[in-house]
Amino acid sequence: MRSVFLLCTALAVAAPVFAQQPAVPVPGQTAQGDVAVTIYNNDRALIEDKRQLDLPNGRSRQEFRDVSANIEPATVTLNGRGVGVVEQNFDFDLLSPEALMKNAVGQEVTLVRVNPASGQETRERARVLAANGGVVMQIGDRIEVLRDDGLPARVIFDGVPASLRARPTLSVTVDSSGGGRRPVTLTYLTTGLAWAADYVALFDEANGRMDVQGWITLTNNSGTPYTNASTLLVAGSVGQAPNRYGGGYYPPPPPPPPPPGGLIRAGTQTSGRERLGDFYLYPLPERTTIADKQTKQVSFLDVKSAPAARAYEFRNGWLSTSNEPLSADTVLRFSSSRDQGLGDALPAGTVRVYQRDARGNPQFVGEHHINHTPMGSDIGLATGQAFDVKVRPVVEERTRISSSRWKTRMRYTLTNAGPKPIVVDLIQSGLWGDTRIDVESMKSERLSADDTRWKVPVPANGEATVTATFDSRY
Amino acid sequence: MAKPLSQRPSTAATEVKRALPLIAWVALSAQAEPQAIVTSPAPVRVSVTVYRDTDRGLEPLNLQWLGGYALVSEVRHVRLPAGTSDLRFQGVTSGIVPQSAIVTGLGLAVLEKNRDARLLSPGSLLDASLGERLTLRRTSKETGKTVVQDAIVRATGDGVVIQTASGIEALRCTGLSETVTVPSVPVGLSAKPTLSVKVRSPEPVETDVTLSYITNNFDWQANYVAEQSADGQRISLFAWLTLANGDATVLANAQTQAVAGKLNRQRVWVNPGEAKPILITCWPQGTTSDIAGEVSPVTMLASEDIVVTGSRLAAPPPPPPPPPAAAAERGGYDAEEERLGEVRLYRVPINVTVASRSQKQLALLERPSVKVERILTLRTYGGTFDVPLQRVLVTHNRSSEGLGLPLPAGKLALFGMKNGRRILLGEGSIDDYTLNEKVEFKVGEAPGVRAKQTVDNGEGDTSFKLVVTNDMASAQTVEIELPLEARATGKKLVKRDGWMLWRVIVPANGTAELTYRLG
Repeated sequence: MRSVFLLCTALAVAAPVFAQQPAVPVPGQTAQGDVAVTIYNNDRALIEDKRQLDLPNGRSRQEFRDVSANIEPATVTLNGRGVGVVEQNFDFDLLSPEALMKNAVGQEVTLVRVNPASGQETRERARVLAANGGVVMQIGDRIEVLRDDGLPARVIFDGVPASLRARPTLSVTVDSSGGGRRPVTLTYLTTGLAWAADYVALFDEANGRMDVQGWITLTNNSGTPYTNASTLLVAGSVGQAPNRYGGGYYPPPPPPPPPPGGLIRAGTQTSGRERLGDFYLYPLPERTTIADKQTKQVSFLDVKSAPAARAYEFRNGWLSTSNEPLSADTVLRFSSSRDQGLGDALPAGTVRVYQRDARGNPQFVGEHHINHTPMGSDIGLATGQAFDVKVRPVVEERTRISSSRWKTRMRYTLTNAGPKPIVVDLIQSGLWGDTRIDVESMKSERLSADDTRWKVPVPANGEATVTATFDSRY
Repeated sequence: MAKPLSQRPSTAATEVKRALPLIAWVALSAQAEPQAIVTSPAPVRVSVTVYRDTDRGLEPLNLQWLGGYALVSEVRHVRLPAGTSDLRFQGVTSGIVPQSAIVTGLGLAVLEKNRDARLLSPGSLLDASLGERLTLRRTSKETGKTVVQDAIVRATGDGVVIQTASGIEALRCTGLSETVTVPSVPVGLSAKPTLSVKVRSPEPVETDVTLSYITNNFDWQANYVAEQSADGQRISLFAWLTLANGDATVLANAQTQAVAGKLNRQRVWVNPGEAKPILITCWPQGTTSDIAGEVSPVTMLASEDIVVTGSRLAAPPPPPPPPPAAAAERGGYDAEEERLGEVRLYRVPINVTVASRSQKQLALLERPSVKVERILTLRTYGGTFDVPLQRVLVTHNRSSEGLGLPLPAGKLALFGMKNGRRILLGEGSIDDYTLNEKVEFKVGEAPGVRAKQTVDNGEGDTSFKLVVTNDMASAQTVEIELPLEARATGKKLVKRDGWMLWRVIVPANGTAELTYRLG
């Protein structure tokens, strides 16, 4: 390992300090000024860039480098003392060899022929007549096709046309009253910046507690770094007019719909976080540089020993028989309330749950997505299926009692191979319509027209049975 | 984009630098405070826990597209100077899910975690040098003479435009051998996506930190090898834990675990890093010798996104499970099983190296003598058919049957011995089975035992006639499941798990018959 250390040092020391030429802008330095970035959840961000501009009196054209490559040019505004905007342009005529040659039609270029045998150079001035398919030139009194003989020939252009740029460039023509240096604020919307929350929950099952860390994860795919930016994250999606071309940025495909779980009861408490309109705000504590293609995480929540419990849930979709016993979902239940929970509103994101193994190392035991969750909510996250808890629903009997009514006798066998007694929430779905329960072995609770639920205690290393007869139209 | 401006920000820092040779100082920009870059090249200890792709069901492992994942936990020894530093972790897997990374051991010093996916590539090298003064080198193919001069890159988006002392030129449109060389690698470009944490500490720190993260492109399954006893009443059961690592990173000498069970997982998109080639395009290059001359650039490199494909994995098919060695030779290295929340954790008792792009097999469990019942099964919903029956080995997962341990999902190969020779009798697969469950190993069809059903449409009354034939010299137990409404004539059917069961012992070289009605 030591040799690697030394190698790193050698590389760092060997990197020479490179002399800069004043003719072209220094690439290592950003043209951005005091940057403030506000990022929303739906792949949108508001950039506010306060730059110091040296403006002459009257009209002038100002180019803004280092704006987002995914800028929405129509949303640009420019504000400054005594600065009026005449017009804004977003130029995307890119400098390329072909564009150079097409722009040189009718003009003279220098042609340098290189003798392949001797290396001798011959210089000539040539006028470009056309650049269609091939380049036709006039040299003196003869017409020639460029490199028709296949021999090396350099074409040297006298300059770069003003309209061609290395990168798409925003330029604004301003009318300034009085010359001089002054702060000017450039504001625009861009795509390519997004954020979500990531939670790490370490669940201590024996004590019914969990430690939760919340991280803000922001990603920059906008093609531009934001240097030393003051960053604010808004937990919400601002309304966005549909954009037929998707803004030139293709987000990853949407994730598949999440399994059941999530919010059980929405909370009504107000978090101590900053708020604006309907949204919670999460300012990053320090200015930071958001590099291009970077994923950045900053901690925003750290809760120790919040109450949490394991629960089991099994949902039978229809009055049907399963081919084999099916695993119940294992659900982590907790609250975001002030007194009995995490004590904060939770921005949308992924909750990853860990538990310690026999040696005390945290191991991953499943994850689940949550939406923006108000403080005071009850949350149940289905993190996986229980290896040891299974339910087998079986249709015992189905009889027709009239032309439009059926009776279905169901038996549910719940087994627990674990060492502790548990309670399984057994939910029978698909009761839509006027399905009634005639007889049942234990009392059920009708959750909705569609669902009914039994809370079934299952002993350790044992089983429990629930039977019910349904009276249904089909 | 930042450039190294100074190697020596202060005298205090110089002292630290002497003590810690791996720290390079850079100033990120005029506004940002100076920060040290500390590189952690490799972990001291690695632990890996592999999770199955639960959507794969019972499909075999596809080494080119592994849908499972792993939790990698690395202990790294780091030395950090006082102040703000950027601690970079090298040698993490390429399938890392950066959102899942957890760094413990640094306490409150961690300001932020970053993962940079701007990769060093010819295209990004040139892009980052836009506007910089570089060196243009032209070499004569005939004389070998080189001409070196200064040049500034003016555009790289669609072909490369350079500015030399003579004027504006296009790179590699001349027919000459020419290239630009760059004095140094721009800051922020790296060979692989880099995970780093920004740390601020009032004093120098030397400590062990633990980096844990979830990484894609791993998978595992159990491979059961069962050997049937001569009388067919018992099997010896041995299982391999088959691990697969589709990542380019080797996890050397790792504490290895596997988790059995079905966990919920959100699919996340991870930027695999952007690697661009240099795009060379020129002006129209047609000549008088072209026939229907349109644009044909000299060199045309298509710009392409880096797509993670498995093509470089060279497609070795997964090898069949090797037959188990004798128990004594294995030396009792079976994996230790423990309960982890609601799933099961299997711990490999010795540290092993999980090589990149490879599959590895370790002993998972062993039961030398498991009592099984060999039956033949069929499930029918009615209609006319003539089909062979399914051979199933049935047992209960309890110690009285010689089993009694959780069985993770996987493939099963059943062997028998004939004249001292091992013969494959069938292959099948099982799902996860916990303790005390009825276990069924479905191993294939038995071509000699067939069931034929015919329909007799009598006067307003449909009846079915089912005949089972046995060409074997021994009696066979047959279980046929009929719909709940089935009512047999002259025989008693038993209701079992939502089906009407006809259980019959078909005599050697004999037949059995059943007539039933529905409803």
